[in-house]
Amino acid sequence: MSDLQTKKPQWWKSKDVKITAALWVVLSVLIGVISGIVNSRPMGQPASETMANTIHIMKLFTWVSAPVAGLVAAIAIKALMQKMHFGDNPPAEADHQISDSPKATALWLIVSALLCLFALVFGMVVLQRDNNTLLDVHATDVNVTGQQWAWNFDYIDNGKFQSEDLYLPVNKPVHFHVTSLDVVHSFWIVQMGIKVDANPGYITETAVTPTKIGVYDLRCAELCGLLHAYMQKKVHVVSQQDYNNWVTSHGGTI
Amino acid sequence: MTTVMNHKSPTASHRPIMERLNVVTALVLGIALAVISYYLASKFLPENTEGSVMKTRHDQIILIAMFGWFIGFMTGIGALVAPVRWLMGKDLSHDENMYLAGKNAGTARYFRYTTDHKVVGIQYLVITMVIFGVGGILAMLIRTNLGHAEGGWLHPQAYNAVVGIHGIIMIVGTIIMVTGPFGNFIMPIMIGARDMAFPRLNALSFWLIVAALAPILSAFFLGGITTGWSAYNPLATQSPGGMDGYIMFICIFAISTMVAGANITTTVVRMRAKGMTWTRTPIFIYGTVASVALALPAFPVFFLSQVMSAMDRAAGTTFYDTRGGGSGWLYENLFWLMGHPEVYVILIPAVAALMEMAPVFTRRPLFSFKIAVMGIAGICGLSILVWAHHMYMTGWAPLLNAPFMLTTELISIPTGMLFLVLVGTVWRGRLWMTVPTASIFALLLNFMIGGITGIYLSDVPADAALHGSMFVTAHFHYTLMGAGLTGAIAALIFWFPKMTGRMIDKQLSWISFWLVQIGFNVAFMGMFMVGLAGQPRRVEAYAELFTRGNQITTGAAFVIMTGMLVLLWAVIYSWRNGQKAPMNPWQSKTLEWSVPNPVPLENFETLPTVTSDPYGYGKAQS
Amino acid sequence: MSTEVNTHHEHPDVVGSRNKLGVVLILVADIAFALSVLFVYFYLKQQDVGGMWLPRATEGQAATVPANAIGAWYLTLLAGLGLMTNTYALRGARSKNQTQINLGLGSAAAISVVLFVYQIIQMRQVEFTVTWGAYASCYFLITGLSVLHFFITVFIGIGNWNRGRMGLYSDDFWHIDIVNVWWIWMVVSSLLGAFALSNS
Repeated sequence: MSDLQTKKPQWWKSKDVKITAALWVVLSVLIGVISGIVNSRPMGQPASETMANTIHIMKLFTWVSAPVAGLVAAIAIKALMQKMHFGDNPPAEADHQISDSPKATALWLIVSALLCLFALVFGMVVLQRDNNTLLDVHATDVNVTGQQWAWNFDYIDNGKFQSEDLYLPVNKPVHFHVTSLDVVHSFWIVQMGIKVDANPGYITETAVTPTKIGVYDLRCAELCGLLHAYMQKKVHVVSQQDYNNWVTSHGGTI
Repeated sequence: MTTVMNHKSPTASHRPIMERLNVVTALVLGIALAVISYYLASKFLPENTEGSVMKTRHDQIILIAMFGWFIGFMTGIGALVAPVRWLMGKDLSHDENMYLAGKNAGTARYFRYTTDHKVVGIQYLVITMVIFGVGGILAMLIRTNLGHAEGGWLHPQAYNAVVGIHGIIMIVGTIIMVTGPFGNFIMPIMIGARDMAFPRLNALSFWLIVAALAPILSAFFLGGITTGWSAYNPLATQSPGGMDGYIMFICIFAISTMVAGANITTTVVRMRAKGMTWTRTPIFIYGTVASVALALPAFPVFFLSQVMSAMDRAAGTTFYDTRGGGSGWLYENLFWLMGHPEVYVILIPAVAALMEMAPVFTRRPLFSFKIAVMGIAGICGLSILVWAHHMYMTGWAPLLNAPFMLTTELISIPTGMLFLVLVGTVWRGRLWMTVPTASIFALLLNFMIGGITGIYLSDVPADAALHGSMFVTAHFHYTLMGAGLTGAIAALIFWFPKMTGRMIDKQLSWISFWLVQIGFNVAFMGMFMVGLAGQPRRVEAYAELFTRGNQITTGAAFVIMTGMLVLLWAVIYSWRNGQKAPMNPWQSKTLEWSVPNPVPLENFETLPTVTSDPYGYGKAQS
Repeated sequence: MSTEVNTHHEHPDVVGSRNKLGVVLILVADIAFALSVLFVYFYLKQQDVGGMWLPRATEGQAATVPANAIGAWYLTLLAGLGLMTNTYALRGARSKNQTQINLGLGSAAAISVVLFVYQIIQMRQVEFTVTWGAYASCYFLITGLSVLHFFITVFIGIGNWNRGRMGLYSDDFWHIDIVNVWWIWMVVSSLLGAFALSNS
């Protein structure tokens, strides 16, 4: 087993290493750009800061993992670029192959540990920010009850009236208290990037501040039986004025 | 059929019980006992008087009937022969053991309780193909229904049943797809042994799977299941009788896994050839042992969760019913305590098999054997600490989300080590291009995508957007199918010559490879997109905006199907008419290639002595 | 003389040791199962969803009063006794004392039957039924699994005693040694069950 460093003067000067390095740069950029687009395009425009943070962190993770994917791709493609042997018998054995490289291994381990740490730290930062909305005392409280196969809302801060529709005022935090009457459902407002399961016998919490007026999708995200696919509802984010009108028209109080 | 036993009676027609038992007697006795149990249960079980709303007499009857099937089938195949003989103090004689090993028995030995690990390996191969066939048909039903936004091709109840049963069948199929055929046939020869540590337990582990198939397939006729493959309670308690089929399937399969785990582990720990120290043990062996050793403590937890589900349905307990002090979170914890280690049970043997093939097809040593072992060990160790990342959104313990995020992200480190080993091995190797070689590169691509999408999911805020969407479905298909199945198919092509004495048709296997890989990547890339756009999983109809993505996935699914059918044809055709294989067609240095085709009953004339690891390619000059 | 087939003429100690490892590994699965049962018990107790761990009395049903856990401790002690008799037999095998083997294994078999029957009797004596809340569900889970354990112990006990008196353990006796491992697990699992039921 020969060590490359004693065999050749400088390993980074050999041709295949240079080609691989070039491939690495090109592929990392390509992967980063394409993945970045592929990831964020379908997610559309965020309707809350929570969703904006999510899109942002996914872009960040994409760019950080692109060089890793790029390196693997570069080495793989370089390997495929050499003369390939087909046929029923094997080619001659490769010469002087290193079967271990403590330096390469150590480097790989250190870098992956750092990437891990990075992902963790950023994840925790965003998680903390999202949790802050949960702690906001000025948030409007809405009780959400899921059942097979519909959602019902209790506007407890606005005179405790019930509705099958979800209307929310823009730029105001809202705190959802979610439960279920029968099986496990999941309360998911797609464009706002919030989700929490609705469990029978328990109340779970999530919170969000909608930042854009519009109509969004509430979808059940946990298989709940026959009509799970249809347990969906439109969420209306409206101006404070429109919200007040809607509330009073339903017999609620501001 | 030769009469092996020197029994008291001289007439050839008086054959011992053991010689009369085979799959036919098993089926007959199984069906008979199922029918009798059903009848007796229907007649004598009391009507429900009080108690839990979920408890039904209907479920009691079904479970009893299925239990009757199980006892009848296992008795009919001869699983009780050895235990009863032990009880009586009349252990099996040498001749009887040779009979059980299938000595001089021809094809008949594949249809009875044969202990020869090579027979069991072939049996596992066939049953795996059957399982994938059924699971594949169900997949095509799903994708056909999802070809239109309004769905409706299948009734919602049928659709949910198809989705759930597709899932659980495929999970079981992927668990056994490498350790079953190759862990059994190849592993003992690869370590220089004559058979497994417990040959009769080997036969048991196989026939338990056959017994288990009846309950799950009967689920379709019992109203199906309402849940996905994860069988969440409390939804599961609402399910019609098909759920009892699911429960029995898992309970029986859990016993099979436990038995196989003890068998494989003991074999590798105690029966390696002289000189085969742990540093000279092939990496495939490490992968196989790690997988079953992980399954050993993990599967019983799933087993328990299903026993409790059965109790809720049939006995009126309230483990999962919050009206009676139960909790759905209890179920989810139990399920995922198994569910996460299980995906590594599936993945590790497939990756280890490819790591075994890499030196052979690059004619150079495996890059950093030590790191490969550490990677496998690291994955196994960490995998039992990550389960609640499947439960970030449940609300069960919000404060635990961050610790689980940590452990989950840490697992990418040992996983990365396996990547390092593979890319390090192809680097500057002399590439011998075969389908297994190409599979290494396919794994690198698919596992990279699967792995990185897993990192997104491991992030709690991102998971709020992605959990319960088709993004998750695409992620796990990339890891289990894109990486796992690719490795398993490569293993099949690689070891086919040793198992059948013939080479798999090259052209057909290449066609299959490209169809499956291209079809797979198109199909599941499309699925990522609709998941990101907001399509939930397990839905039989969806909003207009997801139509394009679904149509792409459905179209590509037919390409995958074609590729798998080509592979099936290649296997069947080559098995009968393929080019006869030399003893060592790949010029590989592991021990299984040092025995002739067909492999003799006891594998080796004399047990080999090992003096080095099997990766000494390209070292001649150094 | 052992009738155990030794196709490859391996030393009985090698065969015995290998079988012991196999049994230990199977027990690992059983241990995982048992620990999960403990998890179920203590999780449901801690959650006390809707106050239904031990439901209070309602119009149609009395309150669920936990079973007296002393019964579970008696079973644990009995299992300990079974372990002792099996160890006694093992010592007898080591010193080639056939009488000691017979006495030890016979007693172990008898104790296993008592364990099986006594566990069932205890289950029938409780005041609540299986549908009376989460504790009741757990009680019947733990005791039901215990019955299964003891049923297997009866099979093993009778088989071993029968083989012992047939003289099969005069030379190698690793069967008795392995069954000792099983008895140890019977003691530990009974203890775990008793511990849980004492903390209702």
